[in-house]
Amino acid sequence: MIKKQTGVLTKMSEKSLSAEFAKGLWDENPVFRQLLGLCPTLAVTNAVINGIVMGLATSFVLIFSSLVISSIKKLIPNQVRIASFIVIIATFVTIADRFLAAFFPPISKSLGPYIPLIVVNCIILGRQEAFSSKNPIRRSLIDALGMSAGFFLALLALSAIRELLGMGTFLGIQVLGAWFRPWIIMVLPAGAFITLGVLLSLALTIERKTRR
Amino acid sequence: MSLSLRMIAVLTAIGLLSGGFLAGVGILTQERIEWNKKQEIEAAILKVVPGTSQNTAFHEEEELTVYEAQDAQNSLIGYAILASGTGFQDKITLMFGTDPSLTRIRRLVILDQKETPGLGAKITSEEDFLRFWQNKDISQSLVLHKPAVASPDELAPIEVNTITGATISSEKILKIVNLSVERLKTLLDKETNGSVDQDV
Repeated sequence: MIKKQTGVLTKMSEKSLSAEFAKGLWDENPVFRQLLGLCPTLAVTNAVINGIVMGLATSFVLIFSSLVISSIKKLIPNQVRIASFIVIIATFVTIADRFLAAFFPPISKSLGPYIPLIVVNCIILGRQEAFSSKNPIRRSLIDALGMSAGFFLALLALSAIRELLGMGTFLGIQVLGAWFRPWIIMVLPAGAFITLGVLLSLALTIERKTRR
Repeated sequence: MSLSLRMIAVLTAIGLLSGGFLAGVGILTQERIEWNKKQEIEAAILKVVPGTSQNTAFHEEEELTVYEAQDAQNSLIGYAILASGTGFQDKITLMFGTDPSLTRIRRLVILDQKETPGLGAKITSEEDFLRFWQNKDISQSLVLHKPAVASPDELAPIEVNTITGATISSEKILKIVNLSVERLKTLLDKETNGSVDQDV
């Protein structure tokens, strides 16, 4: 009887761990459902490579900050938690910034101030405050992985559409033929808002249809 | 431990650990970052003054560095001027090469810019912009040719081309180049006249 119950519990927690990961992809997707981190989402998605690197850098910061914060959450007094979170987040952001400047200088240059600005990305502080500071390490890691994947995919979708329509290329490789006249607006800020708007309405429509 | 002490202890510990960690990362990456910058400048000098085998920084000031480019026989074959100034969106950093007598621009390259993608960002394109800067006469100030032309042959020696839809970016570059040439001429004049004071 006890064995059976333990089995059920293990199964339940396994299921909820996978659900913890999956929620970041769709139900609580940082960009399409929570509308968080919109500054980098709009600003750097004019080329796929920028979207990918920004997605990876943000994931690195989110995953490691969540790991550290959930490990030391009991040591941090409630009154200074936000200050502590920010210092920890800023440490990982600086590491990401220096790493890119040292090993990928062209990308570091094209992302400009947006890498240091990950410090103020609401997704990261939001996950620490809402999740890592209240949950065990493993669960926090899964949550951070899911949110990172969700953010990464959202940036990839936006940048792929914008680069394809704005320049006719994907990752710098010409995809659309000479017949295609690039829609320059797509690589300008207005294009970012238009693409995000279309994708948001698409996400809402899918959500409504699947709920029915 | 009282709450205040705990708050101070935790924040201090986090600050110290984070600072120590970042100092380590800084030391590890510093050399590589400086090397990258040096490589970029070396590559740009070779591009704007072809045939350079060595270079020396002849003059450095805010937003302007002048390199003397020498060939394998140590004779001066031109100057490479690294300059920056405000563009349409943000700072533009560029480098151009001249002949030793400062009468012609050999080539221009853009090292850093954040102009509008698809419009002002065309300043980095060889086809749309840079090829119109080759072999320009700088014995007097350069001027912008408006509207844009399709071939460099349609321009007078002191004219440079405009980018359609990005006149401001084109003008800003012209301004950076003209000011740098003027400044370099003053510096060289001073040097020929035997003055060592480079502050004007």
